[in-house]
Amino acid sequence: MSSVGDATTALTEELAARNDMIVCQGVSKWFGDFQALDSISAVIKEREVVVVLGPSGSGKSTWIRCINRLEVHQEGRIVIDGVELTNDLRNIEKIRSEVGMVFQQFNLFPHLTVLDNVTLAPIWVRKKPKREAEEIARSLLERVGIPEQAEKYPGQLSGGQQQRVAIARALAMEPRIMLFDEPTSALDPEMIKEVLDVMKELARSGMTMMVVTHEMGFAREVADRVIFMEEGQLVETGTPEHFFTNPTEDRTKLFLSQIL
Amino acid sequence: MSNTDKATLAATQSRRPPLYRDATVLKWLAQVAALSLVVFALYFLVTQAQSNLAKKGIATGFDFLSAPLGSDLSSGIDTDPDTSGRALWVGMVNTIRLSIGGIIVATVLGVVVGVGRLSSNWIVKRISSVFVETLRNIPLLVQIILIFVVISTLPRVEINQGPIPGWLHISNKGVSVPRVFISDGFYQWLIVVAIGAALGWLVMRRRSRLHDATGRDTYPVASFVAVTAAFAAVGWFVHPVFGWVGNVFDGLASGIGALTEQTVQILLSVAALLVAVLWIRRFLAQHRSPAGRAKLSDDDWFRVIFAGVVAVLVAIFVNIGWPGLSSWIINSGRDLFEVLGDKFGDGRTGQPIDAKRPDIEQPGNFPNYGPAGLNLTQGLAAVYFGVVFYTAAFIAEIVRAGILSVPKGQTEAAQAVGLRRLTMLRRVILPQAFRVILPPLGNQYLNLTKNTSLAIAIGYSDLVQVGETIYNQTGKTVEVVSIWMLFYLTCSLTISVVVNFFNVRLKIVER
Repeated sequence: MSSVGDATTALTEELAARNDMIVCQGVSKWFGDFQALDSISAVIKEREVVVVLGPSGSGKSTWIRCINRLEVHQEGRIVIDGVELTNDLRNIEKIRSEVGMVFQQFNLFPHLTVLDNVTLAPIWVRKKPKREAEEIARSLLERVGIPEQAEKYPGQLSGGQQQRVAIARALAMEPRIMLFDEPTSALDPEMIKEVLDVMKELARSGMTMMVVTHEMGFAREVADRVIFMEEGQLVETGTPEHFFTNPTEDRTKLFLSQIL
Repeated sequence: MSNTDKATLAATQSRRPPLYRDATVLKWLAQVAALSLVVFALYFLVTQAQSNLAKKGIATGFDFLSAPLGSDLSSGIDTDPDTSGRALWVGMVNTIRLSIGGIIVATVLGVVVGVGRLSSNWIVKRISSVFVETLRNIPLLVQIILIFVVISTLPRVEINQGPIPGWLHISNKGVSVPRVFISDGFYQWLIVVAIGAALGWLVMRRRSRLHDATGRDTYPVASFVAVTAAFAAVGWFVHPVFGWVGNVFDGLASGIGALTEQTVQILLSVAALLVAVLWIRRFLAQHRSPAGRAKLSDDDWFRVIFAGVVAVLVAIFVNIGWPGLSSWIINSGRDLFEVLGDKFGDGRTGQPIDAKRPDIEQPGNFPNYGPAGLNLTQGLAAVYFGVVFYTAAFIAEIVRAGILSVPKGQTEAAQAVGLRRLTMLRRVILPQAFRVILPPLGNQYLNLTKNTSLAIAIGYSDLVQVGETIYNQTGKTVEVVSIWMLFYLTCSLTISVVVNFFNVRLKIVER
């Protein structure tokens, strides 16, 4: 090993060659004295759908927010599609434009119409012509099932419709990875299904997805792999079948007995 | 529906409430009573004031405005006015100058400090906090006097004194800097610039459509500025070709001068009635139910009838009650267009804008700033910087609150779609913050305008100070105070109208 730099390059090239989209290696983060993430290591491959489960306060959201630098990890390494996430602003920009994110609270821009919400980033980041961006936006709104709402403002839509706009907004940047941070937790029960349907369609289309959720049905039906976290640690990982029927760890069993 | 139901309904319907319990009747009575009370109170106050003043032998009326004034003013466009009216005009101009100049600088300073308080740079943050907390916790009057005293302690003015003689002078007489002013051909040049701006606007729209179509950077705003600047530059030399505009205004002036008083009276009455009819029509149209049937409440009817009655009263009043009005309108209209005809007139071929450097003169024993430069006298500087710093402190807090009012999720969402910092501020954060900032910002503008009246404390000749001098000399307190009230009311309403215009526009964008 000649130097750290060479080793890094070698590693990232190797990972890229293996179609690993998200690689975390010993990722740790503290909020003051509280350790939110405790050396998390995991690999998520291309076209894989991973559901992250765990009790509240277990660090699920913090982890997913570290992956597009909304939170800054303090130890360990994160490599997204062959680009390492560091203080380098160019890398952060590149990663953010390749990773779409959907929030619990939708976070749509209330002063812009649905169409403008979806076209904002393609126009100002990708420098797309407005007409082309709008055509793409309309087809995306069609895909999430609300083409007729394009001219409305977010405040005029229901929660489920808003979350579908948020998904369309993220997809408009043509991301290779989609992150979902509890996308259905702020929704009324009758609206959860319409959002989950969109996410299922997305998973079937081959998108790499990382989903923090409490929707066990979604995990069972769609996930390729389930990751269980507790107290900032990665406790258990496996296929949904293994996870729900035959968990090995005691903490997983306890969690499942509480929610099922 | 059964027979018993019908019977019940019929019985209920036939029972009309007595008048003292009838909501409709009571509402109408209350409206009419309130209106008569207001009219009576006004009538009472005016007649009382008139009879009391008459008893004390004080004549009322605005004749004093054309009488000569026995004293000079400390500063303004005319420091030795012929009449009291002219002096009040000078005071108004001083107040307006202070307010407009103050609003612009206080806004810029306030935004800088407000953003500074949110900065992650520790030193910038501390300085901004100290600025705000000090200035907004000391009474404005104290601050104005403090600045006044500080200027007094500066070195006494002398010939050739600097810091940069001929460019910047600072002394106990205040500050003097080069003055830029409107010169001979300004108004004709303005026409050329306006044409340039209109063309530039068209170009800007074309460029931004091109951006939409291709996604290329087409710099629409920059092209607007470039076209306007090009016209301004060329217009500097060719503006005399617009000399004919002056003749148009001259023609309008003689046209208005040829009108008879009767024509104007009829026109005024017709205008009053027309405004009322249009207003009532619009009101009815707005309050109609979708089915087309007007569903007007008693209040609405009251407003419609009130509008009609007022219009008729105004129409009668301009014909009988105030015969001088129409001749005043004819005269001032003619004067206005004669002035415009002169400003845009044929003979003005000089350069549009000129500048002069400041100098220090010594006519007698005492040196002082000459009239060439822009002189911020001690009093002006004290009032100006007093209101600017004080208001800037409040504006800073408003700006800070506005930016903080945008939820953190908005920043995160903007980052997550990959927007850069400046684009995020411009497209996501500021449009939402501005909506919160605007209404209280308008209040601060009103406060600043009204606070300039503290100039009286240090003898700067704003409207209040001039007015006080006049009523001390003439005893016309009621008249002067009513002029003050009318002036400040006009200023405040103007600011409100402008702020509300933007407020409404932002709201439509929002929902």
